[in-house]
Amino acid sequence: MTKLNSAKDLAALRERLTTTHKRPDRCVAVCSGTGCLATKAQVCADAFATELQRQGLAGEVELRRTGCYGFCERGPVVVIQPEDVTYLGVKASDAAEIVESTLNQHQVVERLLFKDDHGTRLQHLNDIPFYKYQTRLLLDANTRIDPKRIDDYVANGGYSALSKALFEMKPEEVLAVIKHANLRGRGGGGFPAGTKWETTRKAPGDIKYVLVNADEGDPGAYMDRSLLEGNPHSILEGLIIGAYTIGACEGFIYVRQEYPLAVTNTLIALDQAREYGLLGRNILGSGFDFDVTVHRGAGAFVSGESSALMTAIEGRVGQPRPKYIHTSVKGLFDRPSNLNNVETWANVPLIVNRGSDWFRSMGTENSKGTKIFSLVGKVVNTGLVEVPMGITLRDIVYKIGGGIRGNKKFKAVQTGGPSGGFLPESLLDLPVDFDDLWNNGSMMGSGGMIVLDEDNCMVDSARFYIDFLAHEGCGVCVPCREGLRQSLHILNNIVAGKGREGDIELLEELCDLLTNASRCALGTSASFPVMAALKHYRDEFEAHIRDKRCPARVCADLIQYEIDQQKCVGCPLCAKSCPTKAIHGTPKKPYSIEQSLCIKCGACHQVCPAKVQAVLKVPALAPRATTVS
Amino acid sequence: MVQTEAAKAPTNVDVLVIDDEESVRESCRHTLDLEGYRTHLAPDGLGGLKLAEETRPRVAVVDLRMPGLSGIEVLERLPAIDARIVPVVITGFGTVDNAVASMKLGAFEFITKPFEPAQLVDAVRRGVARSLGREHAMATAERASAAATAARAPEEPDVILKGLEALSEGYALGLTASNLVEELRQLEAEAKHHAETLGQIKKREKVIGDLVADLRFVDAIIQKHDFRKNALIQILLDIQSKKHWLPRHALMWVSRRLNVPLSRIYEIANFYEAFSLTPQGAHLIQVCLGTACHVRGGPLLLKQVSAVLGIGAGQTDPKGIFTLKSVNCLGCCALAPVVTVDGRYYGNPDLRQLRELFQACEAEVATEVAAS
Amino acid sequence: MSDHGFAKGEAMKQVTLTIDGRQVEAPTTATVLQAAKSAGIYIPALCHDERIKPFGACRVCMVEVTKGKRTRLVASCCYPVEEGIVVKTDTEKVKKIRKLVAELLWPAALPLALELGVTSSRFSAPRGECSLCGLCVRYCDEVKKQNAVYFEGRGIDRELAFVPGVKVDCRACRECFDLCTGGWIMNEASKAFE
Repeated sequence: MTKLNSAKDLAALRERLTTTHKRPDRCVAVCSGTGCLATKAQVCADAFATELQRQGLAGEVELRRTGCYGFCERGPVVVIQPEDVTYLGVKASDAAEIVESTLNQHQVVERLLFKDDHGTRLQHLNDIPFYKYQTRLLLDANTRIDPKRIDDYVANGGYSALSKALFEMKPEEVLAVIKHANLRGRGGGGFPAGTKWETTRKAPGDIKYVLVNADEGDPGAYMDRSLLEGNPHSILEGLIIGAYTIGACEGFIYVRQEYPLAVTNTLIALDQAREYGLLGRNILGSGFDFDVTVHRGAGAFVSGESSALMTAIEGRVGQPRPKYIHTSVKGLFDRPSNLNNVETWANVPLIVNRGSDWFRSMGTENSKGTKIFSLVGKVVNTGLVEVPMGITLRDIVYKIGGGIRGNKKFKAVQTGGPSGGFLPESLLDLPVDFDDLWNNGSMMGSGGMIVLDEDNCMVDSARFYIDFLAHEGCGVCVPCREGLRQSLHILNNIVAGKGREGDIELLEELCDLLTNASRCALGTSASFPVMAALKHYRDEFEAHIRDKRCPARVCADLIQYEIDQQKCVGCPLCAKSCPTKAIHGTPKKPYSIEQSLCIKCGACHQVCPAKVQAVLKVPALAPRATTVS
Repeated sequence: MVQTEAAKAPTNVDVLVIDDEESVRESCRHTLDLEGYRTHLAPDGLGGLKLAEETRPRVAVVDLRMPGLSGIEVLERLPAIDARIVPVVITGFGTVDNAVASMKLGAFEFITKPFEPAQLVDAVRRGVARSLGREHAMATAERASAAATAARAPEEPDVILKGLEALSEGYALGLTASNLVEELRQLEAEAKHHAETLGQIKKREKVIGDLVADLRFVDAIIQKHDFRKNALIQILLDIQSKKHWLPRHALMWVSRRLNVPLSRIYEIANFYEAFSLTPQGAHLIQVCLGTACHVRGGPLLLKQVSAVLGIGAGQTDPKGIFTLKSVNCLGCCALAPVVTVDGRYYGNPDLRQLRELFQACEAEVATEVAAS
Repeated sequence: MSDHGFAKGEAMKQVTLTIDGRQVEAPTTATVLQAAKSAGIYIPALCHDERIKPFGACRVCMVEVTKGKRTRLVASCCYPVEEGIVVKTDTEKVKKIRKLVAELLWPAALPLALELGVTSSRFSAPRGECSLCGLCVRYCDEVKKQNAVYFEGRGIDRELAFVPGVKVDCRACRECFDLCTGGWIMNEASKAFE
């Protein structure tokens, strides 16, 4: 690679990459995001490589290992370009047929296409309902580039926004664009990025920092992972533009070590950018110096809080600082530091390139652009979705998500990560908007969207979040540490059938303390899950406390498994699956469960064939005492 | 047996100490004099051999590491002076090869630096007993040899060779003289004792060697991060990813090299999910309990896996094959519930599939154990 | 540190604020807690000591601060004074927080609880003898520079622990024993160094 010393050099490189050095139009794109890799996309891609070679197409058809397509559950996703034929759930053994039929004979392999509700096979990616209702500004590039090749990014228009900012705009002008676009932080709070940038820009001091928060600690969410793995240069480009605007000389990317592929792809991106002169001294010959270091997070949810994250980069325990001065003024090494989330940074090049009016044309009054959600849980289609702000939750759950699995009843959608709230059916027509979600007891958060159905217990779900927060907080302040400890203790008692009158009121009092007195945002928002659950599903709490009954039949101490002697066909599946050998019987005769040996792991319930359904979850005869911590 | 025999050994005999360190020589003399031995000291190999010639000691305490004539060379030459001189070898760290060589040269007694007076006394006492036994055997053998080979003209062989030859001949003739049997029994016991000593030296050297290797490894990581205190968490992550846990000596070394209090390192090591302060099993099983996995039955899956493996979350089985962990979110939510086995993801696995995987892990460990 | 615990250097610059209806002057570097103390206004606190950096952990020193139109609850040990702010140290909200904190810490920090009129706790999982105020940890680190104790674990699992194999003998120093709010350090030190 030769160093690019001017905007002209960059333009010339792009020209070369799109004409003389253009890669073949025909392409087999194999999704190589973590989700698809888990479903053996690697083996699948290797099989395509062999087949292309064997069938003599290696020169004219490119095999591209791309970033995440978002439809992880149906992976590995393979798309044939330029025809845009989308195959789902592709196995290595399908490679020969796809190459033979689709690439050589231009025939579609029907059985690997998406099948809609009416049984119609859909050929193109954007015909599939999951994709049809999305607006994929950020995720689109994921499907078109190999994240390990900077040339793919450049050929796709990459780094043109940086070039524009450096050579055609003053830092003040870039700032004005970001402010006018009203880009709000995608990490949780929704604080306007432009305002934050301005504070750091104006803060006294020569040395300033810009940081990327990729410590995606929210359980049930993986938007940042997908972006960083699939298109690391877009984040880097945004970061460099931010540094130029703010006047920062050094940047940090704080990424969870649980995301090894994201770490690898980011490090490769940094190296390649440095080699091209897009990072380091005198970027593109503009005289602007800036470099970036990757810091791996060692796994603690609280370290995603801005001051905690900076403390961790300083090499100390990542717990929030007790300061009332913002990190944008006094942050990393006590210097002005601007921290934004991965998705926020990824939006920056788009806004600089296309202008703030374009960005403002999408969304609601106070929430502009798009938002990526990790749509998971009990919906038919799960995966990453990018939607315009203002779309209703109902559209996301039913149009994109395809509704609830197995004709079950919708119960709640949870947004905003562990400190977000549950939203019931009656609020499904809420638009995706920072303020609307907040005003209804939840929040945008970083983009987790977990759908619960009638089989989920709301007390258990609230308990899950409190358990998570109780263990993932830093444990410094009393309201958060002791408040959550007692909350968890009370909730553990309730799900164990040992709840008492007054427990609900005590929980509410603790929620109040958390909100008012905690030391950082983790604590102040830790009350949300309990408050939202109590607000919308109070009857479930009461059923647990007063009747010792779990309406959703989830809480292990309040249910037991039994085998319906009439329905059981005497296949030995349940007995074989039981890890504690609690199921007795002889084949061809009904089996039975010895309750004293049963640990209620549900393995029998899962393996009992759908046609038979002989294993039943029934209310426990008497609440069985188990130790509660 | 060696002990009882040795306990009876007389102390009014000559003992030679050859060591280049004056402090060692003097402390040996002090210790041995107190026991009643006639102690002679030599500061180097040549002087020692000369003194051996003059005093004909029962035991020669020889340091293996000396400038000039080495301990090994001294051992080589001692038999030529007097086959009855029994060497006691002083070894230090890094001398296993030498210890083996000296054993081949007839050394039976080893003491490792630094040593206690009692260790020296024990070794010398056994050496004296050994020397007396050897003298007795030689005398017997010589008599036997004289009787058996009266016709043959002796060819003036090396005295020790002659002794050994005689001994084996005597053996072949089926001599059942109690002293010979006794000698063999003693030999056997001593061989056992030496094997143990050598084993201990080797073990100690391995421990120290491993420790040194570990510290070098840790140091290389610290260097990679330019000795920056800010990189503390990154350094610990690197150690964890290679060793799969954070041994105490590694943490102490990091503390020393970065000049960061050990308390801060422990605080970090205890704070973050990624670190473990105890050795982990050969195979890591993670069950994701993130929200997406939770609502799709992650906790039940954990119960099942836990029951199959017989260990709870956060535990390692007694054989060190599996470590089971529950994790907050692996970012693979669409495949929920997710289990990883050694970093490989399995979305919504059934119990049978997992059982097979676990069996494969067990088999792998068993093969490795068999191979080593 | 001056007599009032204010940092030197910028002591010249002063701001005026209102605490419980009284006009109070304080250097810009002061915290609300320091300003109140210098004016003789008492704010209870558990994890605070003038010799070490503010920690903001116990939340007992919370007060209501009004700045412009916005009123919020803040920890006075960390909140810097500002010109014109209005501080109320003893509102109903503040009292409720303090009492609930004492109840959550029960029976650790017993003197504070009694001072606040808390004589029992409704919570069924008592805290034990350590309030985790961290005075010993921070004193040992910042003042004594011995680093013999540290916070082990996080969240609700956080506990205090002696650094394995620590060389100093805490029984000889004992300086942090007087700071201890719950009694943990005396008991554990005598066990750890036997």
